[in-house]
Amino acid sequence: MKCITNKVREELSKGNIGSDTSCPYHPSHYRGQNCSFCYCPFYPCNDDDFGVLKITKKGDRKVWDCSLCHFIHRNDVVEYIFKRVEELGIVEPEDPQFSGIFKEAKERFFKKGKAIMVLGATSDAGKSIIVTAICRMLNNMGYSVTPFKSQNMSLNSRATRTGEEISMIQDLQCKAAGIKSPSYHVNPILLKPKGDCISQVIAEGVPYGDYDVKGYYSDFVPNKGTDIVKRNVDFLKNRYDFVVMEGAGSPAEINIYEMDIANMRAAEMADANCILVINMEWGGSFAYALGTIELLKEKDRKRVKGIIFNNLYGKIGGLREGTNKIEKMLGIPVLGIVPHLDIKLPKEDSECFRDVDSVGNGKKVISVIKLPRIANFTDVDPLLLEDVTIRYVKRPEELQGSDAIIIPGTKNTLSDLNWMKVAGLDKAVMSYKGKIPIMGICGGYQIMGRKLLDPNGIEDADFPNSDGLGLLDIVSIWSEYKKRTIQQHGKFILTGENVTGYELHMGNSTVNEKPLFRIESFAAGDFDEGAIRQDEMLFGTYLHGIFEKPAFRKYFMSLMSNEDDIKLTKCIDYEENIDLNIDKLVKGFEKAINMNLFKKLFIEDKK
Amino acid sequence: MKLMLLGTASGVGKTTLVALLCRCLSKKGLKVIPFKGSNLSLNSYVTASGEEIGMGQAFQAWAAGIEPTVGMNPILMKPSGKGVIQVILNGHPLADISPGCHPDTSLLLDEVCQAYDNAHYNSDIVICEGSGSPVELNLMGRDVANMLLVKKKKIPAVIVGDIERGGVFAAIYGTWRLVPEEDRHFLKGFIINRFRGDPSILKSGIDTIERLTGMIYMGTVPYANLKFPEEDSMSMGNGRLEGKDMISAFIANLDELNEGIELGIDYEIFKKIASEDP
Repeated sequence: MKCITNKVREELSKGNIGSDTSCPYHPSHYRGQNCSFCYCPFYPCNDDDFGVLKITKKGDRKVWDCSLCHFIHRNDVVEYIFKRVEELGIVEPEDPQFSGIFKEAKERFFKKGKAIMVLGATSDAGKSIIVTAICRMLNNMGYSVTPFKSQNMSLNSRATRTGEEISMIQDLQCKAAGIKSPSYHVNPILLKPKGDCISQVIAEGVPYGDYDVKGYYSDFVPNKGTDIVKRNVDFLKNRYDFVVMEGAGSPAEINIYEMDIANMRAAEMADANCILVINMEWGGSFAYALGTIELLKEKDRKRVKGIIFNNLYGKIGGLREGTNKIEKMLGIPVLGIVPHLDIKLPKEDSECFRDVDSVGNGKKVISVIKLPRIANFTDVDPLLLEDVTIRYVKRPEELQGSDAIIIPGTKNTLSDLNWMKVAGLDKAVMSYKGKIPIMGICGGYQIMGRKLLDPNGIEDADFPNSDGLGLLDIVSIWSEYKKRTIQQHGKFILTGENVTGYELHMGNSTVNEKPLFRIESFAAGDFDEGAIRQDEMLFGTYLHGIFEKPAFRKYFMSLMSNEDDIKLTKCIDYEENIDLNIDKLVKGFEKAINMNLFKKLFIEDKK
Repeated sequence: MKLMLLGTASGVGKTTLVALLCRCLSKKGLKVIPFKGSNLSLNSYVTASGEEIGMGQAFQAWAAGIEPTVGMNPILMKPSGKGVIQVILNGHPLADISPGCHPDTSLLLDEVCQAYDNAHYNSDIVICEGSGSPVELNLMGRDVANMLLVKKKKIPAVIVGDIERGGVFAAIYGTWRLVPEEDRHFLKGFIINRFRGDPSILKSGIDTIERLTGMIYMGTVPYANLKFPEEDSMSMGNGRLEGKDMISAFIANLDELNEGIELGIDYEIFKKIASEDP
């Protein structure tokens, strides 16, 4: 506490410094935050709107935890504090008048943020990408912004800094919003399909249980889901100027209307103004627009303030005739017709699940085994920055001509290993041993091992004891129903360069191989991760996202290049590339949208 | 008898459904002819007498157990790049059309109606396939593949919605709403295509659409993994046909799937709708 007092004294003497981009920790919360008070002069405010009293890890005492509060980083708050400090002639941080300033500041500046919700007429309407664009656009205007999707069904997820699991796309939207460390609040319900219409429900970042469709709507939604959505959207509204929400599928699924906490119920809880997005690619977009809005209940219909026709291939031509008619019929303005934009951002439903056999058209062919329950398949996306074609392989003969093989993650390692054996892919992959690089990630890493043991049927009761491909001497065992979700950073041992990634898995492995990475961990101490057999070009790791930083990607690509026949100059950081594409997206979006109307309807205060 | 399947969008499975219906009804002893007034596609088939038609109609004909003829697809539009479209009329190239230009609608409609009359005269039932969505507000006035044909020849129509993308109720309702009121009596029913799971969950939604539109619910067709040649840029099925004899492989695949449609669609309602003049 003494230390904090000294820091605050220092901060008071420096005055309002705005955003400190030279600080190595910047931005601690979000891009554009005011950094004048790195240490809060009001700490501990003990106000429930800003933090919670938490028991320490050791359990010996209680501390005030306000790590997710941004109030002190608002420009208006900082300006006000300095104004009052000067007026009252305060110099000492311990001055009791600070509690008065806190009350005044809260009174003036603490207000709930606005919610904007992007609804889609269908799945794949372009909701995620438009939320991404709006997040970056508002952040560029100087607002604090967060994305939010109450309920997301996706197999691509990420671990937050504190080890909760959220969907990959909300993590990406947080990047667009300039948020440093996303928390589980941005996606409090994640549904991970396990097959046979059953999904694993991840609630507030933690596995909660398995549900079928009927059970989800009759049990989870009324008993737990509704409260979760309310609680989390409130949390975010208390902390950001804008909460940009994403719906799921169509809001006009009239058979589950009142139970649908992903769309209009969430909009109602957040008091959001909504935009309806329609994908024009398949045609029928006028019918989708009119039908969707007219099937909404009246109280919900009033929330829809604008319509965006999205993803137009070709010219606008006579389409305005149609959009004008829709505007007239519904009395809701069309904000614009957005053309198909050539943006390279990860997609929720990756090509992998469509009938796409390959992506990219580079020189080197990397074959990814298309496991039936493939998960976190966006892991391979950064490879497309290189001169690479990614081929999704389901049969042994499709491996011909590969320059490398990747066995990706899966929602069910044991049953997918069995699928590989039935398809003859186990032997086929093994026949490439030593000839080309073979890499396993997460479930794929476990598959490459010697033994996979599931004595209690936690992963799959049908396969208590399986032989893996035996490419690496590791033994994996599922001994308890526990999931490891954690972000990691460390070094690629061969070169000493930095790598980052995240673990999301059930089951653990005993590794009898040279390690691939050295993980640096403050909490657990440094430790070895992964496996490498350099001579045979065999690699395995639990780290998702391992190709994002250039270090390992560059090495992996170099193994495929004989006599420098491919250029490796493009080894840029994948995150930087994502950032460039978000900026490109915003430009395209702003060009296509009537921005004055957008600002009038969604940003300006009407009061 | 006569029937038109209109789609809420491209790629909702019209081509596949028409093929399945052709197969199913011809097996029940009816003489079935597939028909698509105007087809926008790059995949074409050359008939025994040397005329070019859309590939989709050729496969539908084989499904019906007959040989493809030019009358099943009198107009074929082939995009030839930069917005230029080659128009094939009755199997032979008519003209290249530049972007922004339109061929004479009444001439095309006459040709389509003539071919349709012929098909109707020579069959127990003509199953027509629409093209894209029938309510593209900027195109409706010259869209000879959908409502213009339905109105001219008084063909009972059924709307096909694809549930896989979500928003199927909105799509069906919106399509019905955008058909001008005086023409809505041609819209007799609706079908939900590509459903996975337990259809009982849809009941209340289906009831609402029936109540709002007066259209009859004709059934839910389960997601069918039909392997079909690509009709246009959209994906029609979930894989490619393999083997030497494409046609017999296709027919064998259809027969496997027929059960799905037999379970999902009520034939009595279907026949009733197809036999009455709207």
